Amino acid sequence: MPPLSSEETNRILASPSFRELAAARSRLRWGLSIVTLLMFFGFIGLISGASAMLGASMAGGTIPLGMAAALGMIALVVILTGYYVRRSNTYFDGLMHIVQREARQ
Amino acid sequence: MNTRILLAALATAFPFSAHAQVSIAAAHGPNWIAIGMFLLIVAVTLVITYRSSGRTKSKADFYTAGHEITPMQNGLAIAGDFLSAAAFLGISALIYATGFDGLIYAIGFLTGWPIVLFLMSERLRNLGSYTFADAASFRLDRTSVRLVAATGSLVVVLFYLIAQMIGAGKVIQLLFGVNYFFAVAGVGLLMITYVAVGGMQATTWVQITKALLLLGGGTLMALVILWRFDFSLGRIFLEASQVHPKGAAILAPGGLFAEPVSAISLGLALVFGTAGLPHILMRFFTVKDSAGARKSVFYATTCVAYFCLLIPLFGFAAVVILMPDASFFNVGANGQFNKITDLIGGPNMAAVHLAGALGGPILLGFISAVAFATILAVVAGLTLAGASAVSHDLYGQVIARGKAPEGREVRVAKLAAIGIGIVAVWLAYAFENQNVAFMAGLALSVAASCNFPVLAMAIFWRGTTTRGAVVGGLMGLISSILLVVLSKTVWVAVFHFSAPLFPYDNPALFSMPLAFLAIWLGSISDKTARATAERCAFDAQFVQSETGIRSLEVLAGAAT
Repeated sequence: MPPLSSEETNRILASPSFRELAAARSRLRWGLSIVTLLMFFGFIGLISGASAMLGASMAGGTIPLGMAAALGMIALVVILTGYYVRRSNTYFDGLMHIVQREARQ
Repeated sequence: MNTRILLAALATAFPFSAHAQVSIAAAHGPNWIAIGMFLLIVAVTLVITYRSSGRTKSKADFYTAGHEITPMQNGLAIAGDFLSAAAFLGISALIYATGFDGLIYAIGFLTGWPIVLFLMSERLRNLGSYTFADAASFRLDRTSVRLVAATGSLVVVLFYLIAQMIGAGKVIQLLFGVNYFFAVAGVGLLMITYVAVGGMQATTWVQITKALLLLGGGTLMALVILWRFDFSLGRIFLEASQVHPKGAAILAPGGLFAEPVSAISLGLALVFGTAGLPHILMRFFTVKDSAGARKSVFYATTCVAYFCLLIPLFGFAAVVILMPDASFFNVGANGQFNKITDLIGGPNMAAVHLAGALGGPILLGFISAVAFATILAVVAGLTLAGASAVSHDLYGQVIARGKAPEGREVRVAKLAAIGIGIVAVWLAYAFENQNVAFMAGLALSVAASCNFPVLAMAIFWRGTTTRGAVVGGLMGLISSILLVVLSKTVWVAVFHFSAPLFPYDNPALFSMPLAFLAIWLGSISDKTARATAERCAFDAQFVQSETGIRSLEVLAGAAT
């Protein structure tokens, strides 16, 4: 399939809906990526730095702190992906349809 | 040693000690439920393949099941592709052996998924049609960039496939007591049949079947475990720390991630390797559009995360239930046994023994059959990705320059599947007794250091030129392979030198930045007219990657 012609490209690039779509999605994309990476490598840093603390049990329980943190990480991964998908379904898809409609005119 | 276990777990090729070769079948007698389930799975997958065989005529059919897989189906298939026997048997074995450290490993695997979703899935779907090389070479030189991407794909697929096949041969040998060669050849024959006859359609449904079996079987086992421990997680952890040789240390991080450079390097390979695995990236083209790709990653992530919650249960429960019972171990003449390495069939069999201990021969048979299905789905996905790299990228685009008749390209793909299958069986047979722990680690490192940087820079950075992508891709490929060869897992374990020349087990921390640096340098120094044209073409690529609008659609839309 041939790529868009430069005329078509420039028309879409100039569209305010497209600009909003690209800018907002870029913020979300890089923001969430950074959060994910900080979370994971922070966790690894914590492990090599403060492993004794992670073995201690949480107050009043028998589940070690590190184990609880690990379960929290698993939950967070699902929440982050869920948030991105939800935001895309409810906001970005709408903008994309506007851009597509404009492009066909 | 810990890192060896780790890489081995990835390959399911846990270092089997000589006397650990007694099969589960020999220990428990032939399990007719396992054999019955095994035959049932083979029969079901062959019916799926037969029914899909009419739908492998066009390229779109063969590579992507006509882009008609639903996001839910694709999500399950991705989970089926990703949750290998290494994840199920290997990581539960790692938790059985080391406790908490195994869990960190599982989390590393999982963390790749949000990155795949945020950075890869949608743009990839919008830019490509069949393989990730389509997107990488969208505005760059079709021939050279594709050649690099296809080489990266094939290296990843072959090493991963051989590691999986060797693991599969050993697991099947242990579970069913069949000869290693027949086990490997049988798996090879089945995967060739699925791919060559049924294409993506059959491969997808084999993966969905496996994902449902694995998630269902895992849930069943988890419920039995929880019921047995009165639904108290604390009790499982407490009892495990009482019987494990390492005591309470299994509840805290141990040696596996203690050294920061190795830990970060492994983390990078796990996270970005996932975003560069060709058989995973290929799955995004089976859905209709980028929204479908995005939703399928969410379903896949949820399945993988759920499984990450189950795996520690298996590992810790296996510690509590198996370790005090000598009947699960090869007991030495003096009545002594090592609670980890002397487990019958090796530590990889911890989850399988646990199933037997919890639910008798019925659950043992069921879980054995699930492990078998797990292996089949993963090797089929890998074979399909390898065959596509050969037929679509190398033959269709590089050799025939996109002018090959569709029927011929599909025939090449089927022949490539047969060829890759035969090579994999042969190598798995040849390497049976070699230490192949490095292979899966190498596959992930190449995926993170060659495939991922080339794809990411091509789709996100305007400045990327063909020269940069080719130089950087080769840099990542060569440096990761070279550093793995110089590291302990090959230099010492395979070549028997006394000390490794590269002190870390995983090269990603070095090879990944090298690849990015080479792409950047190769691109900014490129002042040719072609480079200028490629930078200009970024705008069109950017619009299409964000919106999925393709030129013909716009014209067609204008005409109606």
